[in-house]
Amino acid sequence: MKQNRGEGLGVIFFYCCFSWLTESATLSLVHLDIPDAIHDSWFTIIEFAVISYFTWSSLRSRRLKYIPIIGAIIFYPIAIINFTKEQGSFDTVPASMEAIFIITYCILLLYEQINNPEVLFVYNTKKFWVTIAFFIYFSSTLFLFLYARSFTASEYHKYWTINNFFEILKNILLSVSFIIKKMSKDPYPHNLSSDI
Amino acid sequence: MIILDVTSGSTVSLVLFFGTIGMLALTIGLIVFIIFHQRKVIRYQLRLQRMEQDQQKLLLNASIRLQEEERQRIAADLHDDAGPLLATARLYLNENLVNLDKTTQLQSIYNAKQIIDDTIQLIRNISHSLMPPTLKNFGLESAVNDLFQKISGSGSMNASSRFHDYRERLQAENELIIFRVIQELVNNILKHSNASFIHLTQNTSGNKFFIRLHHDGRGITQTDFNKLNKSNVGLGLKNIQSRLKVLHGQIFFEKDMSQTYYKVTIELVKEEATVPEPGP
Repeated sequence: MKQNRGEGLGVIFFYCCFSWLTESATLSLVHLDIPDAIHDSWFTIIEFAVISYFTWSSLRSRRLKYIPIIGAIIFYPIAIINFTKEQGSFDTVPASMEAIFIITYCILLLYEQINNPEVLFVYNTKKFWVTIAFFIYFSSTLFLFLYARSFTASEYHKYWTINNFFEILKNILLSVSFIIKKMSKDPYPHNLSSDI
Repeated sequence: MIILDVTSGSTVSLVLFFGTIGMLALTIGLIVFIIFHQRKVIRYQLRLQRMEQDQQKLLLNASIRLQEEERQRIAADLHDDAGPLLATARLYLNENLVNLDKTTQLQSIYNAKQIIDDTIQLIRNISHSLMPPTLKNFGLESAVNDLFQKISGSGSMNASSRFHDYRERLQAENELIIFRVIQELVNNILKHSNASFIHLTQNTSGNKFFIRLHHDGRGITQTDFNKLNKSNVGLGLKNIQSRLKVLHGQIFFEKDMSQTYYKVTIELVKEEATVPEPGP
C-alpha cells in the first residue's frame, strides 16, 4: 500500500474491488433471475467512469485532458439511453464504444509516458502496466463486444472464454502494477553515466 | 473450440477470430515498438552524454597541459634569465669584498646595479605576461589597444582595434578570460596565418556582447574548428573553447562574404561589473 501512495492507483484499486464485487454479486444473486445484461450495463458505465478518471488524472497536457471529458460527454447519453431502452440484451453499443474510447486513452497515456523526460524506462512505471492491462483487454474484447448481441446462448458461453481469458490477463497486469517498486525520482541513475 | 469453429467456416467465428487476433497483434506490436523505441532514444541520449563528457575531458586535458606549459615557460624564464643575472650580480658584489681598489669597486657596483635593473625589468615582463597591468587598471579596451599597438609597432603586421560600445566594463575575471582568448587568437594568426592585417571590433546588441576579428591570411572555418576540437591537436583552440565555456560564450569561425577575409566572432551574454562598495 505504502509503495503505491501518490501514484494515482487508488482509483484502480477501487476498480479491482468493484470488479470483484460485481462478479461475486452476479454469481450469488443468480437465483433472483436478474438478467446478466443489467449487471454488464451497470458495470460498463462505472468502469468507463473509473478509467476516464484515471486517464484524466494521469494526463499531464492540459489539451489532452479534454479528451476523456469529451469522451464522457459522448459516451454517457448513449449508454444511459441504451440502458433504459434495451435492458434485456447485451449492451453492445456502449461496450464497444467504451472499448474504442479506452483504447484511444491508452494510446494517449503511452504517448505521454514516452515523452515524459522523468521516465527513463517506461516499463518501470506503475501507470504503464495499468495502461497496457486495459489496452490489451479492450483491444482483445472489442470484436467480442461488437458481436455479443447476435450470439445465441450457446455461442455466448463458448465465446465468452475470450473475455474471461483476457480479464485474467488484465488482472495479472494490474497486480504487476501494484507489486513493482515505485520509480526513483532521479531519471538517470549514477551508474548510467560515467563521471569525468 | 473457437479455432475449430473457424476451420468449420462460420462467418461470425472468422471475423471474431481474426478481429481479436488482429487487434491483439496490433496492441502487442505497439507496446513492443514503444519499448524498443524508448530504449533506442535512451541509448542515443546516453551516447550524446558520453560524447559531451569526452569533449569536456579533452578540454580539461588541454587546459591542464596549457597550464603546465605556462608554468614551464615561467620556470624557464626564471631559471635561464633571472638566475644567471642574479648570479652575475652576486659575483660583482663578491668582487668588492676581495678587491679593495676604490675604482674597481665602484665599477663592479655599477655593473651589479645594471644587472639588477635588467633582472627587475625581466621579472616585470614575466609578471606582465601573467597579468597585464593595463587590463587590471584600465580594462579590456585599453589592454587590447595596447596589445594591438605593440603588434603594429613591431612592423610585422598592421593591427588595429575599435571598441564601439564599452562604456561599462565587464567583470574583471570575465575581462581577463576574454583578453586571454583574444591573445590566443592573435597568437594563432601571427603564427599560422601569414596575414598582413588584423582588425578587431567590439559591439553590443541587447544583452549580447560581440568581439569580431578580421584578418586576410590563412584561417579556419567552423568545420575545421569542430574537427580540431574533437582531435588531440589544436591545444590553443581547445583552451579558447574551455575558457569561453566558463562565460557561457560561443565562438564562430567563418570566411567573409567576399571570400577574402577570415572572421572570428566571439559572442557572450553581458554581465556588467559589480561596482565595489567603498571601504570603511
